[in-house]
Amino acid sequence: MKKNLKNSGCVVMLMLILLSGCATNVQVKGEFPTPLSVPLPVHAGLVLDEKFRTHVYSNEENRKLTFAIGEAQSAMYRTLVAGMFTRMTELDSRPATPATDITLVPSVEEIQVARPFETSLKVFEVWLKYNISVYDSKGEPIADWIMTAYGKTPTRFLTSDEDALNQAAIVALRDAGARLVIEFARVPEISQWLQAHSARQATAHTVDPAVVAGISR
Amino acid sequence: MTRPANLLSLMALILVLGLAACTNTTVNEHRETGTNINLGGAEKIVILGRRHAGHYETEPDFISCIGDRLATNKAVHVVEEQTFVDSLYPWFEPRTAPLQLPRLKNMLADPLLVNRIHSLGVRYMIWVDGNTETTESSGSVSCAVAPGAGGCFGFATWDKASNYEAVIWDVHDFSDKGRVRVDAEGSSYLLAIGAPIPFIARVQGEACEGIGNQLRTFFDPAANSVEVKSP
Repeated sequence: MKKNLKNSGCVVMLMLILLSGCATNVQVKGEFPTPLSVPLPVHAGLVLDEKFRTHVYSNEENRKLTFAIGEAQSAMYRTLVAGMFTRMTELDSRPATPATDITLVPSVEEIQVARPFETSLKVFEVWLKYNISVYDSKGEPIADWIMTAYGKTPTRFLTSDEDALNQAAIVALRDAGARLVIEFARVPEISQWLQAHSARQATAHTVDPAVVAGISR
Repeated sequence: MTRPANLLSLMALILVLGLAACTNTTVNEHRETGTNINLGGAEKIVILGRRHAGHYETEPDFISCIGDRLATNKAVHVVEEQTFVDSLYPWFEPRTAPLQLPRLKNMLADPLLVNRIHSLGVRYMIWVDGNTETTESSGSVSCAVAPGAGGCFGFATWDKASNYEAVIWDVHDFSDKGRVRVDAEGSSYLLAIGAPIPFIARVQGEACEGIGNQLRTFFDPAANSVEVKSP
């Protein structure tokens, strides 16, 4: 009886090993450069909640795929947002009363991954779709910006599926970063808010010396 | 047939395949001016691959290969592609990179970008567009392993074609200094009688040599135009 149990345990173990051999598990890893842009004169809050930081995409159909992108996408947003604004504060959750001028809350709307056996193309492809919710200093919503990004890697560039998918994800994340830097201030509601904010700043700066003069009198 | 005759025919087959696994390379060049480009002491070159097309990408290793060939001329200093792209992020990503000179001119109206390019010392950008792909393949090789023995048997062949075009841009006056086009094709074979014997045609390598040598002549006043035709 004991021997039978031992044998069946071995068989199950062997089957699990064989099954895991068919799965592709990718832990997306990469570094992102600081953007070359003039920082906006704004103190920005960046909310990277746990769900976002640990996001894993998985596809159970065909050949199983798990794609842990949370860490890499957090690193991308951290670097990019820090370079886009004069001051950035990272937060775990959205505060009820923010201490920042503007708060950015990125969330994953959708991820799609295509492998050569699915598309008959000789490339690995990754599509990312984010919703970046933007709030003002009172916590009122300014905009919900849906941003998409794309990355691909030809199959012959890298030795394994994992490496190729990692590379395609990094290209997609860099693409998301490019759109964030270039298009953020062009989103109509955000552009409007930025104009109003800079007008407020200018007024504050012109008012301040008078106030100071009044106090000193 | 006797054993020496068998051996002779096998050697003849290997020789024929060896000769056949060659690459034909054609290089075409177009120059805007008759004179070569004189690089100033601190002026550098960056070689960049086009990555915006949907179905192919210019291979990073091909870009490095051209850079290595250009750098054999001590007067030519090449900035690494990734260093350049990261330094100017996000302006040279597949989505944002300029495809035409007027767009580059517009981009470099921004002092932030132009200062960064000057700090890197880049005077010329060489854009390389194209790729190497397998155009045809046939045959098969089967391998088997048994306790104490193993081996492969069969024959496979595949053709590869490389098509690349390089364009030289001057970032000071936003002019096109010239372009080089290379087309290379070759057939590779894998013969397996017990052990697999590959006869690999260096299609991409030959394309790199062809385009690299030709680009080198643009920056080397002493160099002559190189005519590449191999086997």
